[in-house]
Amino acid sequence: MKKFILGLTLAQAAWALPAVAADYAIGAIFPMSGPNAEYGQVFGTGVDLAVEHINADKKLSGKLTVIYEDSQALPAQGVTAATKLVNVSKVPFALSAFTGVSKAVAAVGQRTKTVMANGGGVGPDLATLGEYFWNTIPLANFEVRVMAPFLVKDKGLKRVAMIYVDDPLGQSLLTELSTEVKAAGGEMVGTFSIPTTAQQFSGIAARVRDTKPDVVYVASYGNQQVQLVKQLRDNAITQPIASYSAFSTPSIASLPEAKGVYFSGQQLNLTRDDPLTKRVVADYKAKYNKEPGAYVVNYYNAVLTFAELAAALEKAGKPVTGENLLAQRKATKSFEFVGATVSFADDGTVKAPIQINEIVGDGTTRVVFAPK
Amino acid sequence: MLFAQLFINGLQTGALYALIAAGFSLIFGMTRIFHAAHGATFTIAGYIFYECYSVLHINWIVAALAAAIAASLFGVLIDRVIYARIQKHEGSFFTVFVASFGMAIVVQNLIAMIFDRGAVTVSTPLSKSLEMLPGLYVAPIAAVVVLCALIFFMALQWLLTQTNLGIALRALGENPTLVEVYGLTPRLLSQYVFLIGSILVVPAAILTAATSGLNPAMGNHVMLISIAATIVGGVGSLRGAAMAGLILGMAENLCLAVIDPQWSEAVTFVILFLFILFRPGGVYGRAIVT
Repeated sequence: MKKFILGLTLAQAAWALPAVAADYAIGAIFPMSGPNAEYGQVFGTGVDLAVEHINADKKLSGKLTVIYEDSQALPAQGVTAATKLVNVSKVPFALSAFTGVSKAVAAVGQRTKTVMANGGGVGPDLATLGEYFWNTIPLANFEVRVMAPFLVKDKGLKRVAMIYVDDPLGQSLLTELSTEVKAAGGEMVGTFSIPTTAQQFSGIAARVRDTKPDVVYVASYGNQQVQLVKQLRDNAITQPIASYSAFSTPSIASLPEAKGVYFSGQQLNLTRDDPLTKRVVADYKAKYNKEPGAYVVNYYNAVLTFAELAAALEKAGKPVTGENLLAQRKATKSFEFVGATVSFADDGTVKAPIQINEIVGDGTTRVVFAPK
Repeated sequence: MLFAQLFINGLQTGALYALIAAGFSLIFGMTRIFHAAHGATFTIAGYIFYECYSVLHINWIVAALAAAIAASLFGVLIDRVIYARIQKHEGSFFTVFVASFGMAIVVQNLIAMIFDRGAVTVSTPLSKSLEMLPGLYVAPIAAVVVLCALIFFMALQWLLTQTNLGIALRALGENPTLVEVYGLTPRLLSQYVFLIGSILVVPAAILTAATSGLNPAMGNHVMLISIAATIVGGVGSLRGAAMAGLILGMAENLCLAVIDPQWSEAVTFVILFLFILFRPGGVYGRAIVT
C-alpha cells in the first residue's frame, strides 16, 4: 500500500512538472461566444493551420500550442483573458482581435512586455498602442481612403449616409469617412450611430431613406451587420451599400440581401508563386473546402511571425520573451508572409494595398477595384 | 410622413415584443419560476424553423409545427427534469434561476456548435416593403405580425377564462396550496404552463427569423424585452405584458423622430425605471405578487 501511495505521489509530481523549456505556448483572445463568435471561429482556422504547419516543419525546438481565451468581443472580458494568459500561462505573445478589445489588452501587453498581435481589428488608432502591439492587418483608415474615392469619383455616388456602431471603431470610421468623402468631392448627408446590441433597424432605415442618399456606408460587425443589411433592404433602401473588411464573413456573403454590397479589404494574392502561399491555400482548401480569406491569412501570418522570431532567438541562444521578440522583429527587415513579402512599419503595423470587393450573392465575392 | 412610418414600424416591433413577452410573463406569473431559458426556447424555435424551411425546404406549416414541437418539448422537459427536481429538494428561487440561466448558456453554445456561429435569415417576399403612400413603406409581414399577436392573445384569453384548464392555471398563480386541496397537481399544471408559454414564443421566433434574422446569442435580447415588458405590464398580468410589449416597441421606434438612433434602446430602460418608480404595479395596476 505504501508503495502504491508513493507511486501515486511520484506520478502526481511528474505530472505537475513544468513543460520542457523548448515547448512554447501563445495566447489567442478571440470572441468564441456571443454575437461576434463567427469571427473567432474564422480567426481560429488560420491560427490552427499555422500551428499545424510550424509543428510539422519542426520550426521550433519544441511543440507550439495555442491557449484560446474567450473575449466575447468585449474589452473587459479581453483584459481578464489577457491578464490570465500573461500571469498564469506566462505567454510571451498573444493574438488579439476587435478594436475595442485590442485597445484594452494593449495596456496589459505594454505593462508586462508581452507582444499582442492583432489580425482582425481595424480601428486606425490601433497603430498608436505602443511597441508591444503589432498589427498584421492594414487598418481601416487605409480602407476608407480607397473606398471614398471609389464611391464618389468612380461610381458617382456623392451623397453618403452612414450607419455606425457607437464604439471606438465606429467613431474612427466616422471621422475617416467624413474627411475622405469631402476630399473626394462628396458630402455626408446623414450619420446614424447605433448601439452594439441593437437588432431592430426598420426605424433607422426610415431615417436613412429620408436623407435621400446615393449610397449607405455601414460600419458595423458580426451578426448585427447581417441583420442591418437585411433590414435596410427589406425596408426599401435600394441604394448601394458599402462597408469595410468586417463584411468578409461567410454569413454576409451568403445573405441574399447583401448582393451587390461593396466592401474594402486588403489585397490578397493567393495565386502568388511561392511554396508558403501554395501550401496554405492547398491545405486550407483541403480542410475547409474553400479559399482562405484575409482574416485567416492575417492570423496565419501573425503566428508565423512569432515562429520566425522565436526560431531566430533560439538560434542566437536568447530566451523567447516579449522583449526579445520585439527586438528581433525590429532587427528583421522583412517577413515571407502568405501572399506577400512584408515589413512592419515603425508603428508595428503591416502595410498592404487595399482592394474593393463586391458580394456576388452566391456566397462568393469578386474584386471590382484593385490598385495598380 | 416619417412619423407615420415610425408609427407603423413601432406597431410591428411592439406586436413582436408582445408575443415575446407573453410566454415569459405567463410562466413567471403562474409558477413564480424566473425562466431565464425562455430566450433559449425562442432561439430553438427560430433555428428549427430556419432549418426546416430554408435549408430542408419543407412546407412552412410543417416547419412551424416542428418549431412548436421543439419549443414545447424543451419547455416541458426543462420544467420536468430540472426545475421540478430542484424544487423537490430545495425549492429556492435563486437556485432555480441559476439552473435556468445555465441552461440558456448551454443552449446558446449548442446552437452555435450545430448551426454555426453566424447569423441566419429566412428569406420571404412577405418581409419586402411596398410603397403604400409616397414615402410610406409597409411590408406585408407587418400585418402578419399584428394579426398573429391578436389571434394568439385572443386564444390565450379564451383558454385562461373559458376553460377548466385555464381556471386551474390561474388558480396555480394565485395559490398553489389551495390547488392541491381541490385535488389538482401543481406540478402537472406547471408543465401545462411551460407548454403554453413555450408555444407562445414560436410565432415571434418565426417572424423574427423572417424580419431581422437569428443568431445563437439572441436569447439575451429576448430576455431583456421579456423582463422589461413583464415589469412594465405588471407581474402576472398577460394583458399588461402585451400592452407593455406594444408600448416598448412603439417608444423604441417613435423616439427616432426626435433623438439619435443610438439612444433608442435606452428609451426602453427609461420607461422601465419610470414604471418601477411611479407605477410598480404595472400598466393595469395589478399588485406585484411576492
